[in-house]
Amino acid sequence: MEKNENQFSGGRRYKNDDITVFWKPSACVHASYCYRELLEVFDPSRRPWVDMNGATTEKIIEVVNLCPTEALAWKWNDESKNDSVDNDQLNHIKFRRPELMNSNDTEPKEQPVSVKVMADGPIVIKGTFTFIYNGTKKEVNDSMISICRCGVSDHMPFCDGQHRKAGFIG
Amino acid sequence: MEEKKENKPQAVIEVIDFGPLKITGNFLLKDMKRDKEESPAEVKLCICGKSANKPYCDESHKK
Repeated sequence: MEKNENQFSGGRRYKNDDITVFWKPSACVHASYCYRELLEVFDPSRRPWVDMNGATTEKIIEVVNLCPTEALAWKWNDESKNDSVDNDQLNHIKFRRPELMNSNDTEPKEQPVSVKVMADGPIVIKGTFTFIYNGTKKEVNDSMISICRCGVSDHMPFCDGQHRKAGFIG
Repeated sequence: MEEKKENKPQAVIEVIDFGPLKITGNFLLKDMKRDKEESPAEVKLCICGKSANKPYCDESHKK
């Protein structure tokens, strides 16, 4: 029974010899990078859905860094290596979950709002913008929303991940 | 204090009732499947799943 070791507040962790991957389901917007890029490791239909033996550490880091949210983050098991991680390693725990690390060097960015149409998935919108839905205006500040594109979601207009089961192509 | 010099106003994302997702202002649109990148002044994206011209709306939701 090593269940406790695999959990942290709000999520689970998965380890191989080199790194630990942190999974925080509430932050997931179903952008679908993880399983599209590396099904051998990230397979939503399998339990547990993360298999750290499915690919090399290098490849796992590469794909975790693609996650647009903090749903997937990672760190080196060798703590001394965590101090010298590059800024472009966006989903390193140092940048994504500073509360799990003693560091908080995040840079404020002034950029156009990023609107990504995911392959066979939702529209992932990231940045600071005005969101109007159902006659209500909401200011979204440096955050992210994921809009359903397949028409099947139970949480319209937001994606709830059902496009995968629905077999949405587009 | 640095003043931000942007010609485009802040982005506005609007879910049109029974229609597409309308986006205006300062945004960058990336289509991952078709590997396209653009920053038009306005775009209407299909969110009903029926468009034959994805990711854009082609008014198929009215049918």
